[in-house]
Amino acid sequence: MQVHPNRWGGELVRFENVGLRYGAAPETLTDISFSILPQSFQFLTGASGSGKTTILRLILQSLKATRGMISIFGQDTAQLDKDGLTALRRRMGIVFQDFRLLDHLTIYENVALPFKIRGRMESSYRAEVIELLKWIGLGDLIDAKPPVLSGGEKQRTSIARALVSQPELLLADEPTGNLDPVLAGRLLRLFAELNRSGTAILIATHDISLMDQIKGSRRLVLHNHHLQAEG
Amino acid sequence: MASSFDFHNQRSRLQSFLTRFSTDSLVAPDPLTDRTLVAVIFILTFIAALTAGLVLFGSAASARWQALLSSEVTVQIRPQPGRAIETDLNRAADLMKQVQGVTKVRIYSYEETMRMLEPWLGQSTSLGGLSIPRLIAVEIDPDAPPDIPAIGRQLAREIPGTAIDDHRTWTRRLATLGNTLVIASAAGLILIMTATALAIVFATRGAMVGNREIVEVFYFMGADDRYIARVFQRHFFRLGLRGGILGACLALAFLALFRFVVAGSDGLRDMFGFGIIDPLSSVGLAIVIAILAVALFVSMLASVVSRMTVHSTLNRLV
Repeated sequence: MQVHPNRWGGELVRFENVGLRYGAAPETLTDISFSILPQSFQFLTGASGSGKTTILRLILQSLKATRGMISIFGQDTAQLDKDGLTALRRRMGIVFQDFRLLDHLTIYENVALPFKIRGRMESSYRAEVIELLKWIGLGDLIDAKPPVLSGGEKQRTSIARALVSQPELLLADEPTGNLDPVLAGRLLRLFAELNRSGTAILIATHDISLMDQIKGSRRLVLHNHHLQAEG
Repeated sequence: MASSFDFHNQRSRLQSFLTRFSTDSLVAPDPLTDRTLVAVIFILTFIAALTAGLVLFGSAASARWQALLSSEVTVQIRPQPGRAIETDLNRAADLMKQVQGVTKVRIYSYEETMRMLEPWLGQSTSLGGLSIPRLIAVEIDPDAPPDIPAIGRQLAREIPGTAIDDHRTWTRRLATLGNTLVIASAAGLILIMTATALAIVFATRGAMVGNREIVEVFYFMGADDRYIARVFQRHFFRLGLRGGILGACLALAFLALFRFVVAGSDGLRDMFGFGIIDPLSSVGLAIVIAILAVALFVSMLASVVSRMTVHSTLNRLV
């Protein structure tokens, strides 16, 4: 599917006056407006329950906004059909807060899943996946299955799965929540390196110290259902 | 001669094919649900396979009985006052021998006729000399049968008290019985397949709800509905095939046991004909093929129904 640049000039994500409510309840997100530029690095922060995960789900289009306009990779999501949505999601990577690993598959199979879904032959990606697993410190656990892993190992597997297809936009929901500070710092450097190679990063977190480690990053702060951009 | 077969290209295509379809392991196994579904499919396949076999067997047995009845007619001569029945029997037999299409004529003796009546009259010697109707068995060529009603009329004119029975009533009843059996079995098969399909629908929905988070992960990684449907389709095809093979194996074992029982019983062998249940005979082979076809059909039904269920459920699930 052909993706045309929009009038905002190649922004990866653009929210304009987006609101979201569940049923007749008051809006959980009100007048949210922000954009994500190519190769940018931003944190999405706010108190627990402020709507960080909800914004990620709106970007992934697993939730539909009640009002406002959302554009992803230049596509107005209101006009997307299923095939178009699939094409957009293939340009993104997602790290879930609860990992979402497939317990009956090995670490290698979990990380290789994006390639498998895209119908690629295993011979074309096997070396790439193993190299990434070694780099992320899981080289000895290639054939292990998630239930025997620690929280940190599961988180790293989840991150590897999001990174392996080198997405244009990486969304991460509390990616370092289960890691010790040393490993968290190392993973953050991994995100930074990925960012330097051209991937835009959006990390939802409430960890201030984590945000301080990336100089020049932008902070999107959720407070009282509204979003405020800093930096 | 140099071969034009591009081995590398063919291997790549095969690998691509395998990659595309080796999606069966992506559905998280649920041993209890999977085993239950396999057991349900196994039982339903066994019943369906037996029903299919019964249709073929019943049709073949009915056809055999009809053929046997059609190849013989019976001439009955009632004793008439002032007439010698033995003379009438010989006269009727002579007339029948002259008819084109008649292959064999045999008069049942008085003793043979009395033995036929034993179940009703007993072995009482006081019945000696009882005036009873006598029979002539006439075998005819089923491919070129004579005009039985015309012969009957001729016999009645020349020998009073003569009637001819071509067993038409029985052949008609057998044909009706055979057709009823086929229709009832077909209806039974449809019901069994419907029950199988419903069991698979429930199992697929259960599996999708159980794998809801995995389905969502697939979506976020760029899987489309077709891919997700294929994942579940493969899973349920394998379960269906497993249950189907088990059901077919039990049905074949049942058939072998039936064959063994028939082979050991003169009465059953005469009734059904050993050829009908011999796996090497055309009917026996058809029954074996029908049983295997039922197993394969059930597997394919599982595959198609699960795919349709996935497509109809996905929108509501995620």
